[in-house]
Amino acid sequence: MSDALLQALRLSVDLAGRAALDGVALSVAAGEVVAVVGANGAGKTTLLRACAGLLPTATGELSLAGVDPRKAAAGQLSVRLAYAPQHPQSAWDFTVEELGEISPDPQAFRLWLDRLGLGDKFRARLSRLSGGERKAAHLCVTFAALGDAYGKALLLDEPTTALDLCRSELVARAVRASAQAGAAVLLATHDLAWARACDRVLVLQESRLVAVGTPAQTLTDEVVRATWGGVPA
Amino acid sequence: MDRRAGTFGLAACLLALLALGALACGSAGFGWGANGELLMLRLPRVLAALAAGCALGLGGANQQGVFRNPLADPGLTGVFGGALLGIALLLAGGADFAWNHRWTLPAAAFGGALATSGVLMLAAGRRSSAQLLLAGLGLNAFTAAGTLVVAARFPEARDVLVNGAAGDWLGSATLELAWAPILGCLSASVLLLTQAGALDRLALGEDTARCLGTEVDAARRHGVLLTALAAAAATCLVGQVAFIGLLAPHLARALVGPRHGAMLPLAGLLGGGLLLLADTLGRSLWTQAPLSAAAMTALLGAPAFVWIASRRHE
Repeated sequence: MSDALLQALRLSVDLAGRAALDGVALSVAAGEVVAVVGANGAGKTTLLRACAGLLPTATGELSLAGVDPRKAAAGQLSVRLAYAPQHPQSAWDFTVEELGEISPDPQAFRLWLDRLGLGDKFRARLSRLSGGERKAAHLCVTFAALGDAYGKALLLDEPTTALDLCRSELVARAVRASAQAGAAVLLATHDLAWARACDRVLVLQESRLVAVGTPAQTLTDEVVRATWGGVPA
Repeated sequence: MDRRAGTFGLAACLLALLALGALACGSAGFGWGANGELLMLRLPRVLAALAAGCALGLGGANQQGVFRNPLADPGLTGVFGGALLGIALLLAGGADFAWNHRWTLPAAAFGGALATSGVLMLAAGRRSSAQLLLAGLGLNAFTAAGTLVVAARFPEARDVLVNGAAGDWLGSATLELAWAPILGCLSASVLLLTQAGALDRLALGEDTARCLGTEVDAARRHGVLLTALAAAAATCLVGQVAFIGLLAPHLARALVGPRHGAMLPLAGLLGGGLLLLADTLGRSLWTQAPLSAAAMTALLGAPAFVWIASRRHE
């Protein structure tokens, strides 16, 4: 536990009088890819946002690379983590190039565009991209913010939702490469095949953690039935 | 980048030509007078229109960025109305004191603008475009009614307040009266330009902005404070005027793209140009009964507002 880059104990979040997260404990070490799975509304997004320090009212213990992200200044946070929201937003119709200029490292952003197969969309406006391409372009901001990845946390909320099979595979490889470079990765996903390829899996059910361990230990038929109502994985 | 530089160069040239035209045109006809007396008469008004328009354009761009909302405009969301109500309440409380201590007028305008900005932020700061606009329209109506109540109950302040509500104070601009608010507009404009990076990151959502190193609440607070400062200074020069803060950022975005590093300064230039154009047209086209700058901007701006509102959300 002490080697963990990201660690939480008794992490709870109350949203509008409802427990959105209830006493969750987790740890993610550098080099590890941990998947968070669960049905819609189980608390995956809340868990990732809490771990990123985006929910200051979250209670419990939380440590990210030696700081409590809830209390950390934004500058401290940005050098310790990279976060991709489930639904990336853009208030204005930026071009992909402009999106890169906003990212902390435009050159790295350009490289990530090429790696995710978006190099030819550099001059395109975000509104002209498909939903999947737009999501991938925003993921490039996250990967660019991760920098050399060493000693940083990478928090991804359903990063492959809306992406085609090819691009999903490219993202999965990029995630694994980031972990190999020394990042601690926590990702939420509905893709159980990807979850089975991760190092460990956290299963959330109605805001509570019901299983933690290797994919073989956690994604058993019994847990899958209890979590997704008997739909086969 | 070249295209952006060209756009800025062209905008600056057009603004300079417009300023020369505004100095030469007016209800007294074309020309600067035999000894330049018309020039000296019009100069404060032109400077005031440029400074106020610049602050209005930048204030609107900043409010749109802070609220991540293309329909935000301090003139439509009650911030200018709050500034005018602040002045009205000061005049109601002690008109003699206010006229003898001129600094109290921009201070009261700033207080009023800040109060309405705060209410707007609490009521609809993180809600949809429509909710923000509705809350702003409500605030606008409330502040306008408040100003009219004060004007009705305090006859000595009636004329000045009615002119202010009609956006007709530019005509009374003199260098002696206008220099402080002009400085206020320019200061607010420079400070607003420093918000560009934070506004770019805010555009990607508050969660992403924080993870990219932006203190979101502080950025929003600064944005609201500076917009209130710009609104207060501009209100002291023009009175209440809408649409500049809406149109200038939209035009700037169309010309140089939405990144705030280029968009904000161009919105300032365009805001100055639009207000100066409206004021010059208003006093030159109808020399017997000049139209106020606010009336002209409303005539030009309202159709544009309808056009913007009918477009798909950017």
